[in-house]
This record gives sequence, C-alpha cells and structure tokens, in this order.
Amino acid sequence: MGAKLKNVFGATAAALLMLSCAARAADKYTVAYIAPSLDISYWQWVAYGVKTEAAKLGINYIEMTSENSPSTQMNNIRTAVTRGVNAVVIGPVSSTSTPPVLRFLKEHQIPVAFTGIGPAPGETDYTSSVTANNYETGVAEGKFICDEAKKLGGNKIGMLSLPLDRENAQKYLNGAKEAFSTEGCDLVQILQTHGLTVNEAVAQANDLLTAHPDIKGIYGMYDEAATGAVKALQTRGLIGKIAVATADGSPTTVKLLRDGAIQGLFLQEAVGQGIDATEQVYNALTGKKVTKDLPLPEPLVTKDTIDSPEMQAKLKRVYPPSAGAY
Amino acid sequence: MSKRTHAVLTRPVDTVTRPRGTRFLVNYRTEAAILLAIVLIELGVGAMTPQALTRGNFADLAQAAAPLVIMSVGELLVVITGGIDLSVGSVFSLTGMVTALAMAYGLDGVSSTLCGLGVGAIFGIVNGVLVTFAGLAPFVVTLITYATAGSLAFIVTDGHSMPVPNQNYYLLNSGTLIPGVTNFLLYCVVITGTTEFVLRKVVAGRWLYAVGSSSEASRLLGIPVQKTRLSTYVVCSLLASFASVLSLSYISNAEATAGSSLMLQAIAAVVIGGASLFGGTGSAIGAALGALMITVIQNGVNLIGINSFWQGSVTGLVILIAVLIDRVGKARH
Repeated sequence: MGAKLKNVFGATAAALLMLSCAARAADKYTVAYIAPSLDISYWQWVAYGVKTEAAKLGINYIEMTSENSPSTQMNNIRTAVTRGVNAVVIGPVSSTSTPPVLRFLKEHQIPVAFTGIGPAPGETDYTSSVTANNYETGVAEGKFICDEAKKLGGNKIGMLSLPLDRENAQKYLNGAKEAFSTEGCDLVQILQTHGLTVNEAVAQANDLLTAHPDIKGIYGMYDEAATGAVKALQTRGLIGKIAVATADGSPTTVKLLRDGAIQGLFLQEAVGQGIDATEQVYNALTGKKVTKDLPLPEPLVTKDTIDSPEMQAKLKRVYPPSAGAY
Repeated sequence: MSKRTHAVLTRPVDTVTRPRGTRFLVNYRTEAAILLAIVLIELGVGAMTPQALTRGNFADLAQAAAPLVIMSVGELLVVITGGIDLSVGSVFSLTGMVTALAMAYGLDGVSSTLCGLGVGAIFGIVNGVLVTFAGLAPFVVTLITYATAGSLAFIVTDGHSMPVPNQNYYLLNSGTLIPGVTNFLLYCVVITGTTEFVLRKVVAGRWLYAVGSSSEASRLLGIPVQKTRLSTYVVCSLLASFASVLSLSYISNAEATAGSSLMLQAIAAVVIGGASLFGGTGSAIGAALGALMITVIQNGVNLIGINSFWQGSVTGLVILIAVLIDRVGKARH
C-alpha cells in the first residue's frame, strides 16, 4: 500500500510539474498575423517578417488568411481572440474594412498593428500602422522613369497599375502624375491589373506598346508588371530602348535589374513591415514606446547600387532568403 | 455492334439529309458567326486605334490566345459529354510550378515538361475515375481537384514564383518546328484541327456527342460510356498542362496564381463557341474561336483605353449574345 501511495504521489508530482511547464509556455505572448490573402508573395513575405521577429522576441505566432473577404477577416479576428492571442498584426482586406476590427480589438484591449494597408481615415484606436510611403515613392518613381525616358529621346510614359480602387494605387498614381507634370512627361495610358500575374502584364504591355509605339518608359506599380513589360520588350527587341521601373522587388526583378532590362526598382520592404509591426505590438505589450504611424520609404535601387551593403541590407527586408537570390 | 453501325447511329442528322454544298455552312454556322463577330470587333477597335490592325498586334493576339485556345479545346471535350472540369486553371498553375521546379532541380527541358504533363495526367485520371467509376458529380469532383491543385501550386515552392533556368526553353513556344510558323500557332492549329477531325469523323469522337446527349441510350447502344468520359477528363487535364508549359516557355516564369482566371475563361470560350453545358453539342473550332474572341475583347479594351475592369462586363455581354443567337438559331432550325 505504502509503495502504491508513493507511486501515486510521484505520478501526481510529475503531472503537476508538466502542467506548470505548460502553463509557463502558455504565459508567452502570442501574436496573430491576419493576412488579406496568402496567394500573393507580398503577404507571404510580410508573414515571414512577423514570424521571424516573433521568434526573435520569443513570442508564439499564429497565422490566418482572410481570402480577401471582410467578413472572413472579422471571423479571423474573433477566432484569434478566442484562441487567446495577445496582439494582432493585420494586413487588412481594405482600409474601409478596419473600423469593426478596431472596435472589437479595443473592447478586448488587444494591441493591433497594420502592415501594407493602413486603417480607414479618422481611425485612431490602433497601436501602429507600418506602411510604405506610396505617394513619395510615386513621385520618385515618376521622376526616375521620366528622366530615363528623356535620356531615350522621348517623354511619353505608359503605366501598368494596381487596381485603382486601392488606396496605395491612388497614392502611387497621384505621386506619379505630380512628377510627370513637374518634369514634363506625358502619361499616355494606364492599364490596371486584375490578377497580378506576369501573363496578364505581358499581354497588357504588348497592348500598351501597340497602342502607343512612341512611349519611352513603362511605370510599373507592382513587381509582375515589370517582369511582364520586360518580356514584351524582349519579344519586340526593345530592351534598352524603352525604360522600365517598378515598385516592390523580388528575385526575378532583381535579376532583370542586374541584366539591365529594368532600370530602377523601388524596394517595398514586405519583410521589414512584418518585422516592424511585430516590434510595435511587442512594445505595446511590454510598456515600451510605440510609433503610431511608420511609413517606410521605398528606396531606389539601380544596377549600379544593387551590390552596395546598404542595398543588400534593404533587400533582406524585402523578401526572405527562401524566395531567391539577393 | 459493328463500327459501321456506330458511325451511322452517331452521324449528325445534317450530314445525312443535306446536300454537300450547304452542309459545311450549316455545320459551322455558329463558328462563322463568331468569326464574323471577331472581325467586326477588330475592325471597330481598328477604327478607333489603327495599330490594332497591324501585323504586330495580330501576332500579340495569337500569342496571348494560344494557351486559352488549347485549354478551351480540352474543356470542350468534357462539356460535350455533359460534364465540366473546374480544375483546369489550378492544373495550369500547378503544372507551371512543377515544370519550373524540375528545371531548378537540374532536369532538362524535355524531362521537366514531362513532369509537368504528368501533373495533368494524374489530375485527369483522378477526375475521370471519380466521375465515372465512383459516380460523383463532375462539378463536385473537379471543385475538389481545383482546390487541391491550387493549393499544391503554392505548397511545392512555398508560394514563391519560379524563374525558368533553362535558357533554351523558350523554343518550345517561340521556336519553329515548321519554317515560318511559330510553334505556339502550330500547336493551336494541330490541336484544334485534330480534335475537330476526331469529333466529326472518327467513331470514338462521335461517341462523345452520344454520351453527352444521353448516356443511358449510349450504354444501350454499346458505347463504352465510362471509358469515353474518363478519356475526356484525361485529355482535358493534359491539354491544360500543355497550355501551361507553353505559357511557361513564353513567360519564363512560373507563378502559383498563373491559371487562376483561366478556368472561367475556358468555360466561357466553350459556351461562346456554341457548346451547351448540358452536353451533346460543340465544336473544337468554335471553342478555339471563343477563346480568340475573349482575347480580342481584352486586347481591344486595352488598345482603346477603356478601364480594364470593363473587360468582364463586355465578355459577359458577348456570352449572353452568343447564347441567345445560338438559341434563336436552333429554335428556327
């Protein structure tokens, strides 16, 4: 009997020890990353940034995708809260979809940081908004492609744009228009993407070149636009005769930049946004200082600067090593 | 039952009763109408943007239409038998990723292409077996494989797009097996022409119409209904895979979302081409022209400078008109 009791006490003690360890693990903060969709590399790379930073800070990480649906996004938020997350990093489906999300998270006192797309205008109940400075980039890219076009003997520019119902696309466009107006370039046509695929961009670039054979520059708002434009130019033997610049950056466009097919890349720090947003919510959880609005610049990288240590460091904040070479 | 009996039983009524001169026009009236519509659209676009009527633009149109033409012909085969394949877009995406991945692992172009086509074969067999032998609804089966292939397209490379490392792979699309004819054009003509010939002139091709019209009557006539259906799903997926490797050869870049919009376009092309989603009708030439029409609309909208979000509405309107014209024509007939 005594031996049996000893065994029971021993087993109970072991179980309690295990429970205590589990409880200690559960004490760790958990951050949820809610992506608008994960079929676009950009949001996968933001996810990588959040995950990497969470691991570095010793935070648990969970990930959900809203499949571009505001209602799924709201469901995800509720599920995340039910699962007991301490902080949320969100790439919202749209800015206008954010008010109910913010109200719900405020009720539960959960810090939230935005990545890529910011909250609706007028909203203040968020911890941080880490976005790209699209307007300034629009101006800079507009000026750059205009200068390149002029070097090639023209001033007409065609644009392969993101869907213009997006706030970031509008900012890029307004910035570009301002630069064209200042620099004396003519934006002859804008073609909006539906599917963000290279295939679509090739067809659109071909149509752009057919409708406006006198353009000297192609302004891309997204990575696949430049890849598609280069393919169209290659087919027509126009590489180097029409300049290409784009926002974003990927192993594909970096290679095209090195090859001289793309003249300028404006790097959007997808990974960096994930890192910075996670850092901001962690700061909020631990009572440290947070930065409310953090518009990250999109620096220009060219063939001449791509191998500089500064640009290589920037590239590591654009896409993860698993995506391809820097 | 002899082959001769099959041929007689499944021969279209038109070819039996009408004189040879009018037979062609009667058999291809839908296709002729689509062709006329394409010419009119192109002339209309050309009136607003003269560059639309240049040789360069026609070459662009042909290149842009090629993958959709091939996919649509494959989709048509399934539709004629009264089925539908929703997985073609995802199979397209997965094939591209697998082919590029195989090249990244050091396989040569031919082996990599075979790997890609293997994806089509596997999904075609899975679709066909589940529809024919398990008796599941085509919509449900291909919805499942659509989701699975679409998901695998992300999984195989963790969602990253894959550049094609093989410098000569472009020859598959842009080379010239016959001097003066670019390969993609050759493939389109051969695939469409062969399929049309088989559907019209070969007994096994006529079986597709018979199965689509009434699978029970076909079974009573001794037509191997299950094998016929199975083969259409395999050919459909294989053609989707072939369209994908062709596109990969042209673009030199594989993306997990590459085929996301193509499934609906392929079905739309088949419907525009005169096929009924209830089965029993349709032609390869019609499907190919339907695909060309969708591409012409996209091209025209871009050239004119209309907001490209209108493309879907214009395509929808064209499908509606095509279906209405077809229905009126059949009612009169």
